[in-house]
Amino acid sequence: MNPYVLMILISSLGIGTTLTFMSSHWLLAWMGLEINTLAIIPLMAQQHHPRAVEATTKYFLTQATAAAMILFASTTNAWMTGEWNIQQLSHSPSTTLVTFALALKIGLAPMHFWMPEVMQGLDLTTGLIMATWQKLAPFAIIYQISSTTNPTLLTTLGILSTLVGGWGGLNQTQLRKILAYSSIAHMGWMIIILQFMPKLTLLNLMIYIIMTSAMFMMFKYNNATKINYLTLTWSKSPVLATLTMPMLLSLGGLPPLTGFMPKWLILQELTKQNLAITASIMALATLLSLFFYLRLCYAMTLTLSPNTTNTSSTWRIKSPQMTMPLATISTLTIMLLPITPTIFSLIM
Amino acid sequence: MLKILIPTLMLLPTTWLSSPKWLWTTTTAQSLMIASLSLTWLKRSAEPGWLTLNSYLAIDPLSTPLLVLTCWLLPLMIMASQNHISPEPINRQRMYISLLISLQVFLIMAFGATEIILFYVMFEATLIPTLAIITRWGNQAERLNAGTYFLFYTLVGSLPLLIALLILQKDVGTLSMLLIQYSPPTLLPSWTNKIWWAACLLAFLVKMPLYGIHLWLPKAHVEAPIAGSMVLAAVLLKLGGYGMMRMVILLDPLTKELAYPFIILALWGAIMTGSTCLRQTDLKALIAYSSVSHMGLVVGGILIQTPWGFTGAIILMIAHGLVSSALFCLANTVYERTNTRTLLITRGMQTLLPLTATWWFIASLANLALPPFPNLTGEMAIMASLFYWSEWTLILTGLAALITIIYTMYMFMTTQWGPVPPSMNNIEPPHSREHLLISLHLIPILLLILKPELVWGWYY
Repeated sequence: MNPYVLMILISSLGIGTTLTFMSSHWLLAWMGLEINTLAIIPLMAQQHHPRAVEATTKYFLTQATAAAMILFASTTNAWMTGEWNIQQLSHSPSTTLVTFALALKIGLAPMHFWMPEVMQGLDLTTGLIMATWQKLAPFAIIYQISSTTNPTLLTTLGILSTLVGGWGGLNQTQLRKILAYSSIAHMGWMIIILQFMPKLTLLNLMIYIIMTSAMFMMFKYNNATKINYLTLTWSKSPVLATLTMPMLLSLGGLPPLTGFMPKWLILQELTKQNLAITASIMALATLLSLFFYLRLCYAMTLTLSPNTTNTSSTWRIKSPQMTMPLATISTLTIMLLPITPTIFSLIM
Repeated sequence: MLKILIPTLMLLPTTWLSSPKWLWTTTTAQSLMIASLSLTWLKRSAEPGWLTLNSYLAIDPLSTPLLVLTCWLLPLMIMASQNHISPEPINRQRMYISLLISLQVFLIMAFGATEIILFYVMFEATLIPTLAIITRWGNQAERLNAGTYFLFYTLVGSLPLLIALLILQKDVGTLSMLLIQYSPPTLLPSWTNKIWWAACLLAFLVKMPLYGIHLWLPKAHVEAPIAGSMVLAAVLLKLGGYGMMRMVILLDPLTKELAYPFIILALWGAIMTGSTCLRQTDLKALIAYSSVSHMGLVVGGILIQTPWGFTGAIILMIAHGLVSSALFCLANTVYERTNTRTLLITRGMQTLLPLTATWWFIASLANLALPPFPNLTGEMAIMASLFYWSEWTLILTGLAALITIIYTMYMFMTTQWGPVPPSMNNIEPPHSREHLLISLHLIPILLLILKPELVWGWYY
C-alpha cells in the first residue's frame, strides 16, 4: 500500500476513535464510529485475497448494521426525550437497542458470529488492530451509557459471551479464530461488571488489550496461524516459546499472572453485590477458555515436535522483526499482578 | 521469613550465572544451606501462637513443620533430578532448576501467608511450575493428559473457594488469619451457608486428594519426573491439609453435621485405595495410591476437629511427606536402571543393590507405620480421636491400617526378594548421590522419633 494512503487511513482510524471518545452528542459519536469503520476497511482488504475480501465484506455489513441501529436508537431517543446527550439516554427501548448495537460492534454473544470469521480472514497485524483498537470506540460509548442500560440484558450478554467464547474455541485449530473466541469471552467479563463498577470494565479492557497484543505479536513473530505451526517455535525463539506458556495461562486468568487481576476484582465486586452464583458461573466458564489456552501451551512449550527442522539453528539468525515491543508487552502480560493496587488506583 | 525467601530467590541468579560445570553443585549447596537455615524456625515454634515476622508472612506451630519440609525438599529434588536432567542442554537444565526454585518460593509464601487470599493466590501459583514439570519433563505421551487432569481437577475445586473467600471477606471484613479467628462468621444452617461450607473445603479436598476426586493424582505421579513426584507427594498434597486446617476452624458449627459424608468417604477411600495398591502393577502408581490412602486418614483427622485429630494429621502429613518422597526416590533409582516401573520385571533387587535394599526396608517400615516411626504416632492419634467419636470407625481405620501393611510388604517383597530376572544382569551400581539422597530423607524421620513435639502443631 502507498505510504501516503496508509498514513491517511491510520490517522483516520485514530481520528474516528478519538472523535467518539470526545463527543457527548450521539451524532458525533456515531460519526466517529463510521469514520473508524471506513478507515479500517481498506486496511483489511489490502491483501487482495478472497478470504480477506470476504472478511471485509462481513465486517462492513455488521458494523454498518450496528451503526445504523445506533443512529436509529439515538434519533428515537432524541425524538422522545429531546435529548442528544449520550449520558441522557433515558428512553428504554432506545437503550436496549443501543446496547444490542454496541454488543454487535464488539462481538458479544449472541451477536458474535461475524467475529471469528472476520478475524480468520485478516493478517495478524490487522487482526491485532481489530482485537484491540476497534474495541475502544464502542467501549467509550458503553461506558457512558452504563448507568441507564438494562441490568438483566447486560448479565445475560456477559454470561452468554463467556460461555460461548469458551465453548467456541474448544474445537478450533486456527489461532486467529481461537483469539477471536478468547476476545468474546473477555468481552463477556467486561460487560458483566459494567452495571456495578464501570471502572473495572476499563481496567479489564486495558489488561485484555495488553494480553491479546502480546499474543498477536508473538504469533506474528513466529508467522503462525495454526496450532501445528507453533510446534516449531522453540527452534526459532526458545525464550519466546518458554514465555508463551505463562502468557497463555495469564490470558486464561491463572494466578499469579496479570490475567488474574481483572477476574479477581470483578469476582470480588460481583460477590459484594450478592451475586455469588453469577460469580461462580463466570469463574467456572473461564475453565473452558483455559482448556484451549492449555492446548496451545502443550503444542508450543510443553512438547517438542518429534520431527526435526532442516536447519537446526534457526534461532541463531537474527530476526528482522522488532523484539522490544514484544518483550515489553509479554513482561506486562506476565508480571502485573503484584502491582494491582497501583493499577487499581490509577483507574479509580 | 525474608531471611529464607531472599536466599531462595537468589538461587535463581545462582542457577543462571554459575558455570555449567558447577551448576548442580552450587544449587544443591545453596539450597541445602537454606534448608539448614530454615531449621531455626523449629526452635522458635516452641512458643505457642503466631510469630509475626512481618505483617504479611508469619509462622505458627502448624505451618513451621511444613515450611521446614518445603525448604528441606528443594536440595533433595535437585539431587534426585541430577541424573536424568544432566544430559539435556545447559539452558534446559537451568530452566528445570528454576522451576523447582519458583515452586519453593510459592510454597514458602503459601505456608507463611497470613492473609487467606495470599495463601489462595500462592496455592494456585504452584500449579504453573508443577504443570510445567509434569508435562514438559515427563517421559510418556500420556503426560499431557495427566497435566490436563491435574490442572482442571484443582481449578474446578479452587475457583469456588475463591468465591467463598470473597464472600467471607464481604461478611467479616477481613481475611487475615491473625484477626479472623477472633470474629469468625456466624453460620446458621441455611442452604447458602452449607454450599459456602462445601466451597471452602472442596479445593483442599481435591488437593489432598479425597477418594472420588483423586484420579488426577496417580496420573500426575506416574507421568511426572522424579522431582515432580517428590514435591507433589511431599508438599503439594500437604497444601490441601494445611488449607483445610486453616479453614475448618472458621466453619465451626456447620462442620459437625456436614463433615459426616466426607469423613466416611475419606475412610472408605483409605480402604479402597489401599485395596487398589494390592493389585497394582506399576511401582509409582502404587506409591501414589498409598499417598491417597494415607491422606484419607488425614482428612478424617482434620474433619473430626479434635486436638488429637489435628496433631495426628500434621504428624502424619510430615512423616508421610518424607517417607513417600523417599519411596519415590527409591522407585526412581530402580527406574533409572531398568527403565521400567512394572513390579513383575523389577524383582530381586536385594541381591543386586544390597544397601539400597536397606533403604527400601526402612522406608517401607515407616510407610506401614511400624513403631516407633512418627507415621505410627500420627495414625494412632487420628485413629484414637476417630474412635472416641464413634467406635465403628475402628473397623474402617483398622482395616485401612492392615491393608497398608499388606501392600507395603507386597511392594517390598516383590521388588527386593525373589529371583533376579535375566533382563537385569548388568545394572549400574548405586551412586553415593543416591545413598545420600535417601539418607537425607530417612534421617529426619529417624530423628523425629527422638523429638516428635517438633511436628505436633498447635497442641504441644
